[in-house]
Amino acid sequence: MDKKSQFIKVIKEHEGLILKVSALYTNGLEDQKDLYQEIVYQLWKSFDSFNERSKLSTWMYRVAMNTAIYNLKSVKKRINTISIGTETERYAEVEDKSEKDKIRVLYESIQSLNLLEKGIILLYLEGKIHQEIAEIIGITPSNVGTKISRIKQKLKLQIIKQP
Amino acid sequence: MELEELKSTWQALSKSVEKQELLTDQTIEKMNWEKYRSKLNKIGYSEYIGSIICFIGAAYLFMNFAKIDSILMQIFAIIAIALLFVLPIISLKSLHAVRNSHIASKTYIQAIEDFAKRRTRFQKLQKLNVSMALFLMLISIPVLSAIQGKDLGELPHFWTLIFPITVIFFVGFARWVLKYYNKILNETEKMLSEISN
Repeated sequence: MDKKSQFIKVIKEHEGLILKVSALYTNGLEDQKDLYQEIVYQLWKSFDSFNERSKLSTWMYRVAMNTAIYNLKSVKKRINTISIGTETERYAEVEDKSEKDKIRVLYESIQSLNLLEKGIILLYLEGKIHQEIAEIIGITPSNVGTKISRIKQKLKLQIIKQP
Repeated sequence: MELEELKSTWQALSKSVEKQELLTDQTIEKMNWEKYRSKLNKIGYSEYIGSIICFIGAAYLFMNFAKIDSILMQIFAIIAIALLFVLPIISLKSLHAVRNSHIASKTYIQAIEDFAKRRTRFQKLQKLNVSMALFLMLISIPVLSAIQGKDLGELPHFWTLIFPITVIFFVGFARWVLKYYNKILNETEKMLSEISN
């Protein structure tokens, strides 16, 4: 299989990952689409540098999340979460109202975090182990544990505030 | 809603999103090609056209330099020529400073720090650029008048009305622009202090 076919296969297998990252780091549909394209482009640009020794998903999260950082339009924490939630719901075809509410609470809670916390919680929710989170974020695995506990506390308070 | 419930919501959402097959081979290729082209366009058009305009302005002043009699106006013309060369260089430099580099080799924290550093440098260069551009506009008025052989003092209400209003406008505009850049700089500093906690 040539490089291009290999790349297309990888992207198609992980398009959900790219969609989730682009939804979490943008404000509105246009920005989300733009970031989605940018992530695919950056993945293609760095495809040669992908080291087989590291996990494919680790490399993809790293490139996707770092691209999201470099494409931040504003560093304000609070962004319009309704449109992001709605857009992901559209892809996920969520029809149940209570499910929609849960997704809204989920997004609003995550958006209340700072960039570092947001990155850690995204990987945690994606089921990544501490070692892998540490590798992507650039902190020690024990520090990941400490940060996750703090974020949990913060989110708990945030969730209590939600109706 | 409990935290664990959030996690299960996320996982359910993930499963549903991952089931979608939105991309085809063609859309991925098209996406990359469009992104590559738009990056070229972004740098190609606005920045280079702006630079060419500045260089034409500098050339105009240079060619008409002999028509300027007053030493003060000659000094202003030299400063204007220098600025017309320096401004586009600063602009292009600041643009390159925020362009992405080696994304895959950085950790998430390194990316945040690098982004903050580049953004800060960019905002500072932009602040310098705006200040110099406003100064250039101010000194261009008497220089252009001198080239055309007109005495500004002969224009009705020039010193009493036109000049003070122009200065007030420029100062107000500069303050507004600099306030915007300072706001972004403060946000960036806050972002850095948050990750170091």
